[in-house]
Amino acid sequence: MERDVSFIIKRFDGEREFWQEFKFKARKGMTVLEGLYLIKEEMDGSLAFRSSCRMGVCGSCAVKINGKPKLACETQIFDAGDVVELEPLDNMQVLKDLVVDMTEFFRKHQAVKPYLIRRDVSYENPKELYQKPEELHAYYNFALCIKCGACYSACPASATRNDYLGPAALTSAYRFCADSRDEGKKERISLVSGSEGIWRCHFNAECSEVCPKNVEPAKAIQKMRIESAINLIKSLFR
Amino acid sequence: MERVWKWFAIRGRSVNSIAYSFHRITGIVLLIYLILHLGFLTSLRFGESLYTAFISTTVKPETLPLDSLLFLATFYHAFNGFRVVLNEFGLFYEVRRALIYLMTLLTLIFWIYSTYLMYTYIVR
Repeated sequence: MERDVSFIIKRFDGEREFWQEFKFKARKGMTVLEGLYLIKEEMDGSLAFRSSCRMGVCGSCAVKINGKPKLACETQIFDAGDVVELEPLDNMQVLKDLVVDMTEFFRKHQAVKPYLIRRDVSYENPKELYQKPEELHAYYNFALCIKCGACYSACPASATRNDYLGPAALTSAYRFCADSRDEGKKERISLVSGSEGIWRCHFNAECSEVCPKNVEPAKAIQKMRIESAINLIKSLFR
Repeated sequence: MERVWKWFAIRGRSVNSIAYSFHRITGIVLLIYLILHLGFLTSLRFGESLYTAFISTTVKPETLPLDSLLFLATFYHAFNGFRVVLNEFGLFYEVRRALIYLMTLLTLIFWIYSTYLMYTYIVR
């Protein structure tokens, strides 16, 4: 089964922005990413976009499809409609066509120390860290983030302030704070409790709506806020 | 300024963003109203006649639809704000969409009833 579809792509060549339309026949089951590859291979080789795994794991191909940040590899063309509008993600500088600069996004992610912090790290005598199933469930869902940037693109707080850490980084911070093996909770709470951290969130919750992995960053931020508030109250009595 | 426009971007967004945009719009409306309100009150410093002149231009049956819209903005901002407070305490996260619909319903009920009272008692 084939259908005539039209991809309207917001392009950027380094100097000017313009919309360009590409028409082709899409077959049933074809994804938006496959459509982009078809355009690149048969119509316009200069079209730039990111992709890697083609199966919703790497998070490289996140773009705005009909205004909503989504993974191009997980969106079927027939579901998107006969006219598909494609734009680069918001809140990040566009480098070319659908490719955005994610340097800031990853710098913010790195800033929250997204790794286990322990005092007894020894590479000579590695220690196995046990965890009960309920301890795993406390953070498991938040560990599924693929860093695609969809939440960051949809977040109005990230749109307003460049220094806001953003939903992905804050989710990552909570993911490690909720991990029973981690010992860096206090350190991380102090990193995210500033005006550029959890208290900048306005609970639009669009991040949770657009997340392709249902990670629910808005939930993580609210949980992180409770942790931060408890920590603040405790610090008053210390 | 481009960043501020993103507060009102609702294309491709969920009902959460629509509620967020309305919250900002009603907030701006209420801010403008408060500035005007304080301006009216400040005019008292320049004499009763100036205050009366201001009041006579705005407080009359013809401007009741504007008062009614102001009530709509106030109720929406209050109920939606209450929802945001609940959500920000980590409460009712799972039913956040239902909560938006509930608060919008409450807004409409309170708005219709207040408009009914306005027209029943003030106009009469």
